[in-house]
Amino acid sequence: MEYALHILMMVCIYVALGASLNLVAGYAGSPSLAHAAFYGLGAYVAGLMSLRLGSPFMLNLLCAVGFSAVLGAIVRALTMRIRGDHFIVVTLAFQVVVFSILYNWVSFTGGPMGLSAIPEPTVFGWLVSSHADFLLLGLVYCVLTLWVCRRIANSPFGRVLKAIREDEVLASAAGKDVAMHHVLIFMISAGIAAGAGVLFAHYMCFVDATSFTEMESIFIISIVIIGGGGSSWGPVVGALVLVGLPELFRFLGMPTSVAANVRQMLYGGLLIVFMLWRPQGLLGEYAFGGTRDSR
Amino acid sequence: MVPESCPVPTLPGVVGERMQQIVVNGIVAAAVYVVAGFGFGLIYRTATFFHIAQAAIIAVGAYGTYWLCVGIGFPLPVAVLLSVVFSAIVGACADQAIFRPLRRRGASPLVLLLASLGLYVVLTNLLSMAFGDSIKTIAWGRVEEGWRVFGARITTVQAMTIAIIALLAVLSAIAFRSTKIGITLRAVADDPELAGISGIEVDRVVLVASAVGSGLSGLAGILLALDLGMTPMMGLNVLLMGVVAFIIGGGLKDMTGLVAGGLFLGLSQHLAGWLIGPQWQYAMAFVVLIVLLLLRPKGMWLSQSHGSLA
Amino acid sequence: MMDCVLEIRGMSKAFDGVKALASFSCSVREKEILGLIGPNGAGKTTCFNVVSGLIPPDSGQVMFRGQDLVGLPPHQIARSGIARTFQILRLVRRLSVLENVLLAFQDQPGERLRNVFFRPTIGAKKEAENREMAVCLLDEVGLAENQSMLADELSYGQQKLLSLICCLSMGAELLLLDEPVAGIAPEMTEKIIGLIRGLPAKRKSVVLIEHNLDAVTRICDRVIFMDAGTNVCEGTAEEVRRDPRVIEAYLD
Repeated sequence: MEYALHILMMVCIYVALGASLNLVAGYAGSPSLAHAAFYGLGAYVAGLMSLRLGSPFMLNLLCAVGFSAVLGAIVRALTMRIRGDHFIVVTLAFQVVVFSILYNWVSFTGGPMGLSAIPEPTVFGWLVSSHADFLLLGLVYCVLTLWVCRRIANSPFGRVLKAIREDEVLASAAGKDVAMHHVLIFMISAGIAAGAGVLFAHYMCFVDATSFTEMESIFIISIVIIGGGGSSWGPVVGALVLVGLPELFRFLGMPTSVAANVRQMLYGGLLIVFMLWRPQGLLGEYAFGGTRDSR
Repeated sequence: MVPESCPVPTLPGVVGERMQQIVVNGIVAAAVYVVAGFGFGLIYRTATFFHIAQAAIIAVGAYGTYWLCVGIGFPLPVAVLLSVVFSAIVGACADQAIFRPLRRRGASPLVLLLASLGLYVVLTNLLSMAFGDSIKTIAWGRVEEGWRVFGARITTVQAMTIAIIALLAVLSAIAFRSTKIGITLRAVADDPELAGISGIEVDRVVLVASAVGSGLSGLAGILLALDLGMTPMMGLNVLLMGVVAFIIGGGLKDMTGLVAGGLFLGLSQHLAGWLIGPQWQYAMAFVVLIVLLLLRPKGMWLSQSHGSLA
Repeated sequence: MMDCVLEIRGMSKAFDGVKALASFSCSVREKEILGLIGPNGAGKTTCFNVVSGLIPPDSGQVMFRGQDLVGLPPHQIARSGIARTFQILRLVRRLSVLENVLLAFQDQPGERLRNVFFRPTIGAKKEAENREMAVCLLDEVGLAENQSMLADELSYGQQKLLSLICCLSMGAELLLLDEPVAGIAPEMTEKIIGLIRGLPAKRKSVVLIEHNLDAVTRICDRVIFMDAGTNVCEGTAEEVRRDPRVIEAYLD
């Protein structure tokens, strides 16, 4: 039973990660492989603050989100002139750099040993300690994230994002500040990812950099792609499929030593298959420039 | 687990010697980057997309050698050769099975990149399942202190790496200029559409480029593995550094640019690593990349950034 | 002497050594429809691209209501009152017809994130108003029943009409129309010509690139003939058509 709660908690976290990445990848049309970096930064900020400063959960959350958002804005602004597939490579480079710093800065981040014994959070006087407690917190965050993303998507701001995704030249000729939109949406996306990281850190009580590698970034973008880019519910479906389906392997009795590899091969393979068959994913409307038929 | 590329060694020596050691280490790192960058660049210029899966092929080359040499017992040079060929085959198969069908359907560079990402994940995990995640090394010969060159130490492997790169640079310069396939490759790289119209079978050229590029990636992996050991995830850092070297070098117009780019990158990384700490090595490369892209955002992007302004 | 809405002075632009514009100058008067004609490669679309801010000129000035536009980003130029259409039709294909029109409206509070989350009612109200206006505009040209269709699903002629409507929805005082009736059937051509001819009455000025000389003669108050990046001659449509240099150029 506790295991089922754990899976649901991870689904909540990945829905939040997927929905926030969907904002830049599916709506603004600028997929990024840096999402695990912001996720990790959020986790580390929360861990470091609660361990070294003993500060309360909400403050940690605020700082983590704020720090990631500002960093995201800076990175996006610096890379504004880079487009499409070139941009995604630069985000990959950023991801690798962040990982490298988190993993190797032993004096500050604990290096490969990571941060342990992260205390349980107290949210407005409520001590979150059991699996059920955390799941509730996770659900709240997940629902909040989905609400924010949906509001953005259905607003005139969201309409501008979709226009930018399809045709930046047209959008700017219509008076829309393309650069500002890119920076804003990247900021929000990074901030939400950091918040998910904060949850993760307190839930696991332990963080180390190996949870936030480029593989993780690829995993999150697979959630977005398979669920469907540019769809509100896409990330939910994507997270359920990619987090939930591998659990079936466990029921089928696969040894845990290969389970992790098989799980990764599953989403890697699905990524290839979807690009060949249906780039807009299960529910989505955006096919990442697509193939001729889906354009 | 992510191995550091050529960390600054703690051999005893005077400060002056340290600088020379950094230079040597930087050059060795540069050599690997140049090979990786060349393989990557070949595919990028002909197939016009970022083939991230090359990072996995780098590891395939390394593990292929490991299996052939340590597992089966072939002599090292044979294992290396077979492994390079095997890497080339893997790259060619991937092109035929995945990327050619995508190209046929008019897939955008982004879609190709995403498919390449998927392949990277699959291949890396296959290696992980077969060999495990811990660092493997290929022990050959005795543990050595290395040769003394200009007051620094360089191991046999490292020296060979540099020699191979120099040979490669010369060979490729000749091949591109004089052989039919080399000239054809350049034609496709400069203008794929024109090449296609002129009757060049672009698909076949891309297949050859994929094979050669993958072989080179495998070679880069082998060189790195012989020097520092291997893990299934080793390829990504090397590939990214190769990409940066490629960009700095102005995109494979000729080898000198790439070599210069690789040297600049390798040296600045190790300098930064020594001055401010090894965890900032990759940050340094990233900073270099960003600065470059801000200073000359066209550069290699020229072929891609042309949208119609009509 | 009527006011000048737009004044282009000595605009030059070369691409890889090829001169697209060679010290081109012209002016656009208030409430006039100015035609730009000339052979392919004369620099007409390049001129539009420079004025709308998509490419920077090598030299020259673009004075719009007394302000030099050179160096300003495209979205700012658009916001200051210049709207354009494109030679190769541009629409947001995966948005509906209605949403394409809505996109073009300026000063939408719902486009600012602050309002999306903290003052939703202001955004919603303006959006509703804009929707009504958009449907009205579409109705006037007979596209109202297609409003929920994706822009991609319209016929080419309808798409051209839609792009013109979007351009008009921006509320700009100067419109740059790049081949608005090229490649479409006569009925739609008539509709679009009618729309354009009604613009001066709404206090708008228009610059029109067209190859269809009949349309140009019917719509334009003044015509400029461009060739090799320069202003070869200008005058009424009749005068320009009879100019020996123009005749020569079209005979080649």
